[in-house]
Amino acid sequence: MSDVDRLFAQYKEVHRSGGDADPGPFLARLAGVERDQLAGLIDAYLARAPRRELDRDAFRDSPAAGVAESLERSLGGAGGLWPVLLPRLRNQARVRRADLVAELAARLGAQSQQEKVAGYYHQMEQGRLPAAGVSDAVLEALGRIVGYGREALRRAGELPAPGGPPPAAGAVFTRPARGAAPEPDAAPPPAPAEEWDEVDRLFRGG
Amino acid sequence: MTSCAASRRIIRCFESTPGPDRGPRQVRDRSATIPSLADFQELPEHRLSAFSDDQLVDYLRHARDAGRHAAMEAALALLVYGYWDTLVNRARLKLPESDVEDVAGEAVASAIASAFDGRSVGEFRSWLHTILSRRIADHLEARKRKPSTTALPSEHEGDEAVWGTEPALEFEGDALHARDCLERAYREIAEPRHRRVIDLYVLGPHSAAEAGGRIGADMTEANVHQIASRFSRRFRELLEGGETAAER
Repeated sequence: MSDVDRLFAQYKEVHRSGGDADPGPFLARLAGVERDQLAGLIDAYLARAPRRELDRDAFRDSPAAGVAESLERSLGGAGGLWPVLLPRLRNQARVRRADLVAELAARLGAQSQQEKVAGYYHQMEQGRLPAAGVSDAVLEALGRIVGYGREALRRAGELPAPGGPPPAAGAVFTRPARGAAPEPDAAPPPAPAEEWDEVDRLFRGG
Repeated sequence: MTSCAASRRIIRCFESTPGPDRGPRQVRDRSATIPSLADFQELPEHRLSAFSDDQLVDYLRHARDAGRHAAMEAALALLVYGYWDTLVNRARLKLPESDVEDVAGEAVASAIASAFDGRSVGEFRSWLHTILSRRIADHLEARKRKPSTTALPSEHEGDEAVWGTEPALEFEGDALHARDCLERAYREIAEPRHRRVIDLYVLGPHSAAEAGGRIGADMTEANVHQIASRFSRRFRELLEGGETAAER
């Protein structure tokens, strides 16, 4: 049995037993073509691996829990994949939400209504603000802050297509997201349409 | 598939015995049906765990259409946790550790969302891994253009079913080249039973004896080893740049 075959068999065993199947330590024991060969075998093996049974304890401590939670907001909400995407972009850009909101308000010319902008942005991250109502101006400004394209943000907000009753404004998602620190729900009660101001129109008027 | 079509579809599942390609700790299917939209019923986790991926996506769609958002939690946990380690470990083959979980998270979210909308192609698992490969390519391409930062907006123009772009260039990396060579070696196998050996034994969870037993009476353990060995040789030959077997 070659070194590649032996290490690959060991890797499969570790993966099947539910252990930490990081390929790194296995690949580190080879070099050159043999290393490439093992990488290709592991890649193909993982791509064919069936769904693993749910282990609730492991899930709770896994980053997968945060992803599932934001997906729940996405699928049940009105903002497509924004609940998945926006917090990640904010973290990648290393911008605190308060700073992001301040800059967003400034870019929209709404410095005096920062609290209201914060409420709307919070609703975007929570999937509670219908994506279709958010104007290009907001997405353009937001995209410039987090380094993402306006159209890509728009598309993410449209996936999956809205459907079913929206979650209640006070809907609570009880599992805390891993990584990002929870922030207070700053969403203001939406103003009736007849009382909309410019900020309402930017975030809800399309 | 549209949501309406999904609503009408009656889903039949397999009996509770493990499928031929499944390992010992993997999900089993059993008879089940998803209720129609009108009488959506939240199902307990132990029943959902027997559902196939596509059935879980259908269940999620029904739950949302019925406004039962809390009912989605278990199905999402099953799908996301179920593939998390394979996504993360595939990503580790090509990306620095700091990027791995972000890319895996994007991939699983995109794949579920697009499957939810009926925009996925083929089997969910294949679609999921296709999306992961695209996300990895996007990520590598973005890093190449602007190291250590997020993607530039201009890199996300274009049309794709999920956010981001299709990779404009083939992304680099030993693992990808190796994967291409492996797939080519696999495609060169003309005999379906020999491909099954690769599926079950080389890239699957079974021993040579188990694989032989599942394939058929005359597929001995020695045959399985012989086929695997030939495949391995051809794979290595392609990795080293050889064309001889492909062109003979």
